Amino acid sequence: MFNQLFALAWKDLKIFFKDPAAVALTFLTPFVFIVVMSYALQGVFGSSEEEALQILVVNQDRGERADGIIQALRDMKGFQIETTWEDQPLSQEVAESLIVAGRRSLAVIFPPEFSSALEQPLLATERLTATVVLLADPVISSQFTEPLLGTLRGLIAREAFAALAPQGIEFLFDRFAPDVPADTRAVLKSQARASMSGDNAPVNVVQRAPAGMQVAQKPNTFQQNIPGYTIYGIFWIVNALALSVLQEKRDGTFRRLMVAPLPRTVLLAGKLLPYYAINLSQIAILLGVSSALFGMSLGHSPAGLILVSLAAAASALGLGVLVSAIARTESQAAGLSLILILTMSALGGCFVPRFVMPDWLRTLGLITPQAWALDAYQDLLVRGYGLREVLPQVGALLGFASLFFGIGVWRFRFE
Amino acid sequence: MITVHGLVKRYGQRTAVNGVSFSVQASEVFGLLGPNGAGKTTTISILATLLQPDEGQITIGGYDLRTQAAAAKPLIGFVPQELALYPTLSAWDNLAFFGRIYGLHGKQLHARIESVLSLVRLRDRAGEAVRNFSGGMKRRLNIAAGLIHQPRVLFLDEPTVGVDPQSRNFIFEHVAQLKAEGMTIIYTTHYMEEAERLCDRVAIMDEGRIVAMDTTRALINLLGGGVIYVGLPPDSAEALLPAVRALPHVHSASAQDGRLKLETSDAKPALLALIELCNAHNAAILSLEVLEPNLESVFLHLTGKRLRN
Repeated sequence: MFNQLFALAWKDLKIFFKDPAAVALTFLTPFVFIVVMSYALQGVFGSSEEEALQILVVNQDRGERADGIIQALRDMKGFQIETTWEDQPLSQEVAESLIVAGRRSLAVIFPPEFSSALEQPLLATERLTATVVLLADPVISSQFTEPLLGTLRGLIAREAFAALAPQGIEFLFDRFAPDVPADTRAVLKSQARASMSGDNAPVNVVQRAPAGMQVAQKPNTFQQNIPGYTIYGIFWIVNALALSVLQEKRDGTFRRLMVAPLPRTVLLAGKLLPYYAINLSQIAILLGVSSALFGMSLGHSPAGLILVSLAAAASALGLGVLVSAIARTESQAAGLSLILILTMSALGGCFVPRFVMPDWLRTLGLITPQAWALDAYQDLLVRGYGLREVLPQVGALLGFASLFFGIGVWRFRFE
Repeated sequence: MITVHGLVKRYGQRTAVNGVSFSVQASEVFGLLGPNGAGKTTTISILATLLQPDEGQITIGGYDLRTQAAAAKPLIGFVPQELALYPTLSAWDNLAFFGRIYGLHGKQLHARIESVLSLVRLRDRAGEAVRNFSGGMKRRLNIAAGLIHQPRVLFLDEPTVGVDPQSRNFIFEHVAQLKAEGMTIIYTTHYMEEAERLCDRVAIMDEGRIVAMDTTRALINLLGGGVIYVGLPPDSAEALLPAVRALPHVHSASAQDGRLKLETSDAKPALLALIELCNAHNAAILSLEVLEPNLESVFLHLTGKRLRN
């Protein structure tokens, strides 16, 4: 029986590797997808300098207050600040023309009276108001503009307090404690200024991963995208398997094999085994190459990675059996595979993160093995979890595999 | 070697095989002859264990297929109508695969592949992908794949469909050689000349039933020396019938709708005598058909239908 199983599996592997186009499509397509989409989405998931959001800054401020804010923006990793264009200080006209030409998408304009407005006397009777403008290409979504506006408002508020604090302290001393000597006043004003600055602020905001996650390095765009596109890639085995089964039915080779002293379970297992091996090779190659080329972390749990990969590949193979059983012709199999793979991958978050989806769609996504597989891979590769934490997802994937296999084998016809 | 008794197979309301019984001796080539849809492929599929019959009993090599199919399977070689081969694999790889499925390996497998490739004269093309073969070469390899495990019984289902004359002759030679080597063969075809040339006995099937079964010679003798159909004016046919029955070499004669049917012991002198009789009675001959004694005309004689429609 094992010789027969081996003969069946070896035959399909031979057929597969005799078709260079199929091999290239199986292994290269997801890889090309990973590279193209990861670079394309660097702005969404990126964290390094070259992946940062480009912002033009036009500084018309006659004082120095805007400089402080611009420096604070430069210090943030998410923004790439440009204050010059072709070695000339950026003007509002140039910034607007660059946005109109589609070369840049965002610009911040600090007005000439910016510092004056912040530093105006505490009890001035005519209040000066300055307006900072954010110029944005209308196609830029609020997901990008709102965080930038929030950052600007925060920095301006901090700068305003820093400008007002010495005046306020001086006013309070004059009014309520005029005997305090000038050097003491200077120390207190200095402390107030320092507490308004970012470095010495009494309250800080930091970003870190929750307890239990061992994130070795901050995930880059590849780390975010590769699991999704790997899962998307392995589910294409559904199409390959279904077409191969229908071809065997059409050509009569299944009929010939059924005459042989060969149990049908062995025949089916021999048919599936090579596709399972191909799927696992796909995962190994995609993750391995991504790690080698793009420095993607493979997490801390090789056992977890192997278990999730085995379960994810089993669910993909199960879906392949189901499509093979339902489709009557090769055209039906191709169409059904396409619609199932694309829909389920999209719902499962392979293309767009599930956290940006509406609640109902996020819940609906849970009926796809892709969502569970992606969650498991992200747990291992991005969140730094181990084997124990991904067992629920592995269980769900094996459940999907059993369901698909069960219905598929029940409906499967060898002729 | 093979016994079939009361075989019935239904698909919904349609009965594809309806009470078929026959037996085949060892080393015999037994033909199932009939038009498309007669039930030949269904019968052979049941015998090859591909389909379960609704009724009936079958034994192959003494094994009852209902209870001992697993024991009977290694005895069976099956060559389906389709070219059941893997086109991207070479001839050698195809045969090696089917051989391994039947438990062959190592030197034994190698020797069997060499042997069947020589038999079908494809040894010099062994390493070439099957998709590059001509239709006839594929057919021959299709037969080789059915022979790889040295079966005792070979089912050949329309093996010459779509084959050029040269390859067809090759196939005839292979079948003759296999018969000479003692193989029992069931051969389905709708080409009467193949059945006449290859088969020791033939079962003629129509609408799921066997309408006649005997040696090809005995079946052909059913027509004696041939059958003559003559179209005459309606009143002339009835009027001439007694005289026609008295003509030399005429076994029997009947008339229906102005058409006379004469079964003869020798068609040629009977036809001459008939023409003289019609001339003598001024009866105009409106149509004339002479069925030479062969399986085609036997089928037409038995069913009123032509084999190839």
